[in-house]
Amino acid sequence: MKVLLVDDEEKFVSSLAERLWIRGFEADWATTCVEALTKAQIEDYDIAVLDVKMPRMSGIELKKMLEKIRPNMKFIFVTGHGSEEDYDIGSREASFYIIKPFKIEILIEKVKQALNI
Amino acid sequence: MEKEIGKMCAEGFSFFGISNRLISHELKNILAIISETLGLLEELVELSEAGTQLKPGKLRSLSASVIEEVERANAIIRNMNTFAHSVDEFIREVDLSQAVSLMIELTQLDSTSKNTKLRLADGEACVIYTSPFFLQNLIYHAINHSLRGAGAENEIRVSFDLADNVARIVFSGIASNRIGEFPTKKEDFLAKALSAKLSLDVSAGEMHIVLPQRLSESPIQALFVQQ
Repeated sequence: MKVLLVDDEEKFVSSLAERLWIRGFEADWATTCVEALTKAQIEDYDIAVLDVKMPRMSGIELKKMLEKIRPNMKFIFVTGHGSEEDYDIGSREASFYIIKPFKIEILIEKVKQALNI
Repeated sequence: MEKEIGKMCAEGFSFFGISNRLISHELKNILAIISETLGLLEELVELSEAGTQLKPGKLRSLSASVIEEVERANAIIRNMNTFAHSVDEFIREVDLSQAVSLMIELTQLDSTSKNTKLRLADGEACVIYTSPFFLQNLIYHAINHSLRGAGAENEIRVSFDLADNVARIVFSGIASNRIGEFPTKKEDFLAKALSAKLSLDVSAGEMHIVLPQRLSESPIQALFVQQ
């Protein structure tokens, strides 16, 4: 299962990717939207886990661009915010919406639910 | 007068809400990094117990990462504490450099998301007698306004000076064609409370806040007297 993690906090996203690898996922990561789009053109990811607030382009905008490249890709949003407004947007635009910090087991459970496995 | 004071209180609560939201977002990001780093550390230990060799360099790097994030959180909490104390005395002496720096830190999330740097220019100490809380509120809105109109350099410079009993804060680096409407009603209202004058220099891409060195004849002082 190929997972793309996108968050501008490099330490967060790289550690999370490494933990997913330990659990058998093929996890790749990017800290910018441009990097994420480039990677999605090369690799056919099953799911992308996106930070809602990122420099230059929001996670919502990035999701729309990724969908054009990979129409079957599923999405999960993560955020440090947790406002009602963010929750509404996040749950409307993606399969799931998770608030930081979260347990990795929660993320894995949501990934599996989003991919029906 | 009561209506004006009511508006000031409402604006103050709103600003406190915004500040709390920005600070909690930053702290949650830090907690997420610490949580993932410690989670990884635990898993590496488990792997080593199962026979995989543990690399000391990796452990050192993860440990350093946690220490760095704790220091980052501590700096944010220190700023939060300074901000919370800005309502201890409604009107007092305020160092403009400190007030601007605090708001630059607070708006870091907004500036990062707009990919724009906020830079405080070096200058001599500039102390005025005003309301720290409402001044910070006005600076916050001015920063956000300038971020929305940042020019090609993606850098907003903030400078200040004091001359002839008047302090001036200047925001430069704004694109003339993106400068927008300033002040809006909210900024106008805050300016009135601080007896400040706000203006735009469109051709220079600058926004100006002019403050009296000593605040007088403001609704803030009426509120202060009523207390």
